[in-house]
Amino acid sequence: MNDFEKLRSVILRQISSRLFSVRMAIMLPILILFIPGMAWGFSDPDIMLPGGITPSSATEVMFYTSLGIVFGATMCAVLLSFDGVSRDRASGVLEIKLSQPMARSHQSIALVMGHWLAILIPIWILWGISFLIVKYRIGDWPSFADLLASFISVALILLWYVLFSLIASSHAREQGTSIAFGVGVWFLFTFLWALVTTMVAFASGVSIGEENDPKWIDLEGVLDLFSPNGVFHHLLETRLDDVDRGVSPITTWIVAIIWSVLPWYWFTSRMKTIQP
Amino acid sequence: MSEVVLEMKDAAFRHLISSRSLTNPFGKKQGSGIFSINLKIRKGQILGLVGPNGAGKTTLMRILAGIFPIQKGKIMYRDSEMKEFSAISDFELRSVVGHMPEQVRWQGKVSVKRTLEDIAEMRGVSYRVDGILMMVGLSEMKDTPLDQLSQGMRQRLSLATALLGSPKILLLDEPFNGLDPVAIRAFEKLLHKLTEKGVSIIISSHRVAGMVHIVDRLALIHRGQLLIEGTLKDIENEYELDNRIEIQGSGKIPEFESILTDSASLLDTQTSEDGWLAVIRNQDRNLLKKLIESNAEITTWKSKDTDIVEMLCAATGQNLDEIGFGVISSTMIPYKSRGEEE
Repeated sequence: MNDFEKLRSVILRQISSRLFSVRMAIMLPILILFIPGMAWGFSDPDIMLPGGITPSSATEVMFYTSLGIVFGATMCAVLLSFDGVSRDRASGVLEIKLSQPMARSHQSIALVMGHWLAILIPIWILWGISFLIVKYRIGDWPSFADLLASFISVALILLWYVLFSLIASSHAREQGTSIAFGVGVWFLFTFLWALVTTMVAFASGVSIGEENDPKWIDLEGVLDLFSPNGVFHHLLETRLDDVDRGVSPITTWIVAIIWSVLPWYWFTSRMKTIQP
Repeated sequence: MSEVVLEMKDAAFRHLISSRSLTNPFGKKQGSGIFSINLKIRKGQILGLVGPNGAGKTTLMRILAGIFPIQKGKIMYRDSEMKEFSAISDFELRSVVGHMPEQVRWQGKVSVKRTLEDIAEMRGVSYRVDGILMMVGLSEMKDTPLDQLSQGMRQRLSLATALLGSPKILLLDEPFNGLDPVAIRAFEKLLHKLTEKGVSIIISSHRVAGMVHIVDRLALIHRGQLLIEGTLKDIENEYELDNRIEIQGSGKIPEFESILTDSASLLDTQTSEDGWLAVIRNQDRNLLKKLIESNAEITTWKSKDTDIVEMLCAATGQNLDEIGFGVISSTMIPYKSRGEEE
């Protein structure tokens, strides 16, 4: 068995052990409620969103449905992977794994891919079902490019949260610290980032809450690049016609790559030096 | 003497410990570890690794398992097909070594077989799982969830993971923990079978009394240093623990000072209402005759068994009578030369 085959089979085992775990069975109803449920709600032909907005296309409806990803799927990604390393470390199993003839870089790839794909597969299925629901409700179907950008964006935001959780898990000596870090990061980017944006706006002399003020929009757009949720929405916005927050699609995709590469590098480096 | 398969030459590894200061809150410095270890692992032999708590046994095992990279020195390996020794990397070491760590708390709802397969995939030998489960006596429990395993069963599973991929060297850290006496006997038999196949085994254990009849050689380690390595006989000789006779008798204790010649020495005496006991290191063939001629009433005459604890005390300078929990106290240890790390 060569290295690639070994890596592939370890990844598949990681995926199946998490995909069919009790944790996943508990999270799945929540995900169904959050993703296809939101798609059903936002695709109501009579819906009127705050600000008098009525989503008119499938891409727009799925943009609003992405709230289900931000609030539900990312939290599930954290809950699925917060003990990816710390559990094995606390039980002593990590020592056995580290003593196997498999490069540590490959072990870290297997951990990332295993946890990521375990949450990504059900989310992508639910995301696809959501598109079908929108098609059924409003009769619109997005272009292939919209579809591709949408699925890739979802995959990336889940990857980022999985990586944050695994990094925390690899540094934590016990699982309490690990989950506190994972949930803390999720809380910061999901709820507290608006506060950070407001504070920076205040410090910069930008009028707060003036949603149509170009300065506010530009500042919010730039600050969102420092948040995974913000980058996720920037990615989705690249496919919306009437949204301009001062950040070009190329910048958004470059930042998305940076958000993927840096944490992955951090985690791989950590796994190379980790001790049981 | 068996051929050497693995050799550690001046191997050293020190753990990094936190050393915070105002200027460097994330500072680290070198802490405990192992220092300039020279150790040879021989084919088909069992080496017992013995030392007090904190001596560095587990660190040494982890170095041999390829988990901790050595910071100084080198590790040389020679397979049966290789003529010369060559330096071996951590990764290569992991493919020839099977490691059973101390106290793995297997947990979860995953089955025993599935767990073993997960580890086997990392070694690329998942097809051999059933045979190994049978070897360690877990074949009937292969579908049992890990949460339902007893401590002994968990130990067997840990052993099974170490046996995956037919390792040339087997590292067993406290393998007898939680095993019942029958399982221990079966375990010992299995170890001997493995050595007959040419597998070299290193056992680190606090259960020193039980190791005497298992090990071929012994390595005494203390404060990160290898104090001595050799056969039990070699170590007995080194620390003058050989040729010891335990004599018990009734009545008045004989006057040993007048009876013993230069080739015998009195190590210990005890008297009680029932009689007396003396331990003598003896190389005088006529000692028994002399004692009888001096009208000593001897009830028991036997050679004193090898005692690894005594060896350890002799090697580390600890006094058996004063031994306490503070075994790593620096007050009781005569250091070997440590060289630059001192």
